[in-house]
Amino acid sequence: MDNILSVLVFFPAVAGLLGFVVDQKSIKAYGLTVATIEFLLSLWLWFSFDMGNSGMQFVELVPIIPDMGVSYYLGVDGISLFIVIMSTLMTLLGMASMGETKDIKNMIITLLFLEMTMVGVFVALDAIIFYLFWELSLVPMLYIIGAWGGNLRIYASIKFFLYTFTGSLIMLVGMLFVAYTYHNLTGVWSFAITDWYSIVLPVSYQMWLFAAFFIGFAIKVPMFPFHTWIPYAHGQAPTIGSVILAAVLLKMGTYGFVRFSLPMFPDASVMAITPIAIISIIMIIYTAMIAYAQKDMKQVIAYSSVSHMGIIMLGLFAMNAEGISGSVFQMLSHGIVSGALFMLVGMIYDRRHTKLLSEFGGLTAVMPKFAIIFGIMLMASVGLPLTIGFVGEFLVLLGFYNVSPFMTILAGTSIIVGAIYMLRVMKLAFFGPLNNEENKKLKDLNARETWSLIPLVMIVVWLGVYPKPVLTPIDNSVKSLLTFMDKKAITQEAKDMIRVSKSTKEAK
Amino acid sequence: MENLVYIALFAPFVSSLFAALFGMTERKVWIGIVASILLGISWISSVTLAYHIYITGEPIHVTMMDWINAGDIHIPFGFVVDQVSVTMMSVVTTVSTVVHIYAIGYMDHDKSFNRFFSYLSAFVFSMMILVMSDNFAGLFIGWEGVGVCSWLLIGFWYHKEDLPREQNPSISPSWAANEAFIVNRIADLGMLVGIFVIYWNTGTLQYDEVFAQLPNLSPHILTIAAIALFIGAMGKSAQFPLHTWLTDAMEGPTPVSALIHAATMVTAGVFLVIRANPLFAMTPDVSFFIASLGTFVAFYAASMALVERDLKRIIAYSTLSQLGYMFAAAGLGAYWIALFHLAAHAFFKALLFLGAGNVMHAMHDELDVFKMGELRKKMKGTWIYMTLASLALGGLPPLAGYWSKDAIIETAFNEHTYFLWFILVVTAGMTAFYSFRQIFLTFHGEDRHTALGFHPHEMYKFVLVAMSPLAVLAVITGWFMKDYEEFITELLPAYEMSEHTHHLTAYLGLIVLAFAISGIVLAYFKYARTGKNAFKQDANVEQGFIFKLLKNQYYVPAIYERFITEPYKVISGILWTSVDVKIVDATVDGIAKFLYTSGDKTRSMQTGNLSNYLNWMAVGGVILLVVAVISAMIA
Amino acid sequence: MIGLSHYLIVSAIIFSIGLVGVLRRRNLLMLFFATEVMLNAVNIAFAAISHYYNDLTGQMFAFFIIAIAASEVAVGLGILIVLFKRYGSLDLDELSSMRG
Repeated sequence: MDNILSVLVFFPAVAGLLGFVVDQKSIKAYGLTVATIEFLLSLWLWFSFDMGNSGMQFVELVPIIPDMGVSYYLGVDGISLFIVIMSTLMTLLGMASMGETKDIKNMIITLLFLEMTMVGVFVALDAIIFYLFWELSLVPMLYIIGAWGGNLRIYASIKFFLYTFTGSLIMLVGMLFVAYTYHNLTGVWSFAITDWYSIVLPVSYQMWLFAAFFIGFAIKVPMFPFHTWIPYAHGQAPTIGSVILAAVLLKMGTYGFVRFSLPMFPDASVMAITPIAIISIIMIIYTAMIAYAQKDMKQVIAYSSVSHMGIIMLGLFAMNAEGISGSVFQMLSHGIVSGALFMLVGMIYDRRHTKLLSEFGGLTAVMPKFAIIFGIMLMASVGLPLTIGFVGEFLVLLGFYNVSPFMTILAGTSIIVGAIYMLRVMKLAFFGPLNNEENKKLKDLNARETWSLIPLVMIVVWLGVYPKPVLTPIDNSVKSLLTFMDKKAITQEAKDMIRVSKSTKEAK
Repeated sequence: MENLVYIALFAPFVSSLFAALFGMTERKVWIGIVASILLGISWISSVTLAYHIYITGEPIHVTMMDWINAGDIHIPFGFVVDQVSVTMMSVVTTVSTVVHIYAIGYMDHDKSFNRFFSYLSAFVFSMMILVMSDNFAGLFIGWEGVGVCSWLLIGFWYHKEDLPREQNPSISPSWAANEAFIVNRIADLGMLVGIFVIYWNTGTLQYDEVFAQLPNLSPHILTIAAIALFIGAMGKSAQFPLHTWLTDAMEGPTPVSALIHAATMVTAGVFLVIRANPLFAMTPDVSFFIASLGTFVAFYAASMALVERDLKRIIAYSTLSQLGYMFAAAGLGAYWIALFHLAAHAFFKALLFLGAGNVMHAMHDELDVFKMGELRKKMKGTWIYMTLASLALGGLPPLAGYWSKDAIIETAFNEHTYFLWFILVVTAGMTAFYSFRQIFLTFHGEDRHTALGFHPHEMYKFVLVAMSPLAVLAVITGWFMKDYEEFITELLPAYEMSEHTHHLTAYLGLIVLAFAISGIVLAYFKYARTGKNAFKQDANVEQGFIFKLLKNQYYVPAIYERFITEPYKVISGILWTSVDVKIVDATVDGIAKFLYTSGDKTRSMQTGNLSNYLNWMAVGGVILLVVAVISAMIA
Repeated sequence: MIGLSHYLIVSAIIFSIGLVGVLRRRNLLMLFFATEVMLNAVNIAFAAISHYYNDLTGQMFAFFIIAIAASEVAVGLGILIVLFKRYGSLDLDELSSMRG
């Protein structure tokens, strides 16, 4: 299968179109089948992936507008591979865990379209194609929040859309400027990211371009102070929307930093280390404290997402393989864990139609399975060793320590403040006496809910104990990224800061 | 032998999984039995390994598989069984096997019996990882693992509700569990920083490779690493100022208190200092700080134990105090003595706690020693055990505590740190006093419980039998001190008393003994007598400042509540409602609103009146003209 | 001697009269007349400058403007008649159906 990536991108969309003719009753089974096939395809991608090769694989290149250098250009490397797999997995499990939903047909079709855009973003190697999928992903999400959301859904969805859209437009200007510069330097037009890598930009250009891309990505991540759309989006979105949003859509921003900012603007990236680290630390501590003050269970997890994204951002700018690999791993970990937590909150919401912590208490007594899975995910979220959460967080902090010990200590408080807000949720919702009459007749997780969570629990433990199969390809790609950045950097400060691994040096 | 390593390590894990399978079903006694048998297997393996190491002197090193490989960092799951870890393994498995069997009896009425065994075995597994790991990252796995198990077990009775501090100083099990977890996390950050320092300066986390490179590092870096690691140790071993969680942890079931909060987990900090002794030996300032802090905590905790009425909290304070002794020894360079005291303490303290558990079981969870008295007749076995343990704790020959504690105090003298020596001696007297205060109040004196409607009964026979190994060990451990010294100093640095100290040994011992005996005698006169000399509460004393200070734990929990917990809560609230909503989000919405309102306002220009439009057009024309003229003039 | 500036001043005065008419008048018909006045003011300026430079292009333009003004009046008056028939008034204050 040479065109595996195209299949991976367009299969869900085509299947989604066909979904319009499927009967309302069987649409969920249909959607699940499609999502399963898509997931299996992405697994197949993994198995046929050459672990030793750190470059792009399964490349497809079809020129669309040769004069302007726009082409249909796809490929994956170790960094994007697992994010793709996580996207297909979370779509599948999110869909599987979905309870009674009105207009389920529209929901399933929307999800399949969303899946296309998500996979598309992560495999696109042409800036125009990337931008296309990037913007397209907003539409299904806008629809999901706007049509199935809570009371403030219109406000939340428009805020989400306009906010991220504004950022992406600035990013688009940046992209056009890179293409223009590329044309000036080489005489040909190209939007291929791999071509863009090859040009060396002056530092002043790098800084402006870095800023343009930064705004686009930072709003998506979301970085402080651009994060305020996220509590509304999560607060209003239906469970499935929150799951996909937290697990996959936020990763687009951090992925953008790895794919564009770091290799294209190495000098500007090095200069941005301190400001970005400061923002990240604010994200980590500030949003963790806000999460602690929340009254709504879902908002706690929404704010905790921002806090964890702070860790990811910090790792990306550690400029060493430990930090960046850890950061990419943390993207996966956060996807799995926050996705699962949102699913769990959704399950309790389905039962009680409230997410307020004050309504709960002592739930362990009536819902032991629910409490156990929540507890496991909580521990993964606070980064307990031998769960998926530890590996990434540990590597990120380890990597950043080489940049600044002091800032690492500040960022490391995430293990404290994270525990504080998560344990508060655990105590308020699950511990204590079971006083609320309405909670006494709650039913524990049913088979559907249990089986959509168990794979996540297994991944949490598996990748916590044995992260090697995932971490090695990521690490290979990250090492070659660093080597490339080191070669390309103009200023001596950047060359000093970017730390090429010893093992790579020895290989030479 | 390698297989034995894995058996010792994974038997508790299997036990935990097995019990977890039945976690949600009703109580089944045989689960406790299976778990105990698996723990017994682990114990046999550990002891066999200990014997093997004793005979051959060769450490066993196994590497199971890779864990994290990224960049230049390579962390395997590697385990090393040497003199230090095998000591810990033997102590941990001995105490935990006894505690497992004990728990079958103690938890017999609890509906979450199966779950309890699952947690308890998981704890033992984490503890085994902690002590057996051959690198700092593996240590950290165990470190956090025991933290979580401790969280689960302290909060085991999660359904109890929060009470005000006046009614229950620990508020509730779930509160105490969270406190323990969060305080430990603060220390874990220090530990992580220590790991980072070590990695970036040596390029590895394996103990042997790190220690081999230490001489190449600058003193500055060594000091930072030592401080950071010791902060980690302070959390786990509940040293001041991170000590408050330990007494609150008594909310957990008593077997948990015996195993985790007395014998094993809390000694992990001491273990860390002993494990990293090459590092601490090279940083004398940090080591001296450790010794001073340890001495301070020994005294500080003992002083609070003097007035406490809660049986378990008294023992918790004494644990704190004894941990202080261990740190004092480790800080003064007598690592093997610290380890020896750790082992001896594990035996007699676990015995003491299990005895307290028997009392609690008999008294229907009543813990106030003022409501007991004269239990000796009804609970003979428990009385003997607890008296033995208290004698060992008080440091009377020939019991275990005498040998180990005496060695520590002697070390303080030998190092010419006479002030520390003096404090430790005084504390030894206080230790004897409060441990016998507790014994006399519980088992002797006037019968105060019958009037309150308690009808205590002795614990099951098999439980008492199960406790006997600890009783035996509490008595005899000290007799093997010389042999143990030979065994352990193959790995740890030997500690030689100077000639001068050697001469004075007998006198020094007598001084300590005098303090201990006078403590016991004092306790006897105050609390053990009956009739008109019987103990009565003295309101004058209880109103006194010092009594109140000690009773309220020097107001430390209140200070934390007032200056950390409350402000954190308030600041979080302010950050959310005022900063995030009213500033950050309001700015974003403000921009949107500005665009919207500016459109809305300019909308009124669209009057539909042609004449208005023409006026605006003229204004525009004039403005353009003016701009053109000005720009022409500038040009 | 009457020079270029005199013509231009006259032209500017007439243009201003026309402009004020456009801005102040409320009746559409009057507005029309005012625009015609402005056009003629421009015509004067064109003719004068053309004469001054001895270049016929300006006078040619003046004729163009006369022609266009004529056709504009023809179309415009037609629209005004329709408007008057429809609304019964040519007062601008009453004709504000495009109010935003």
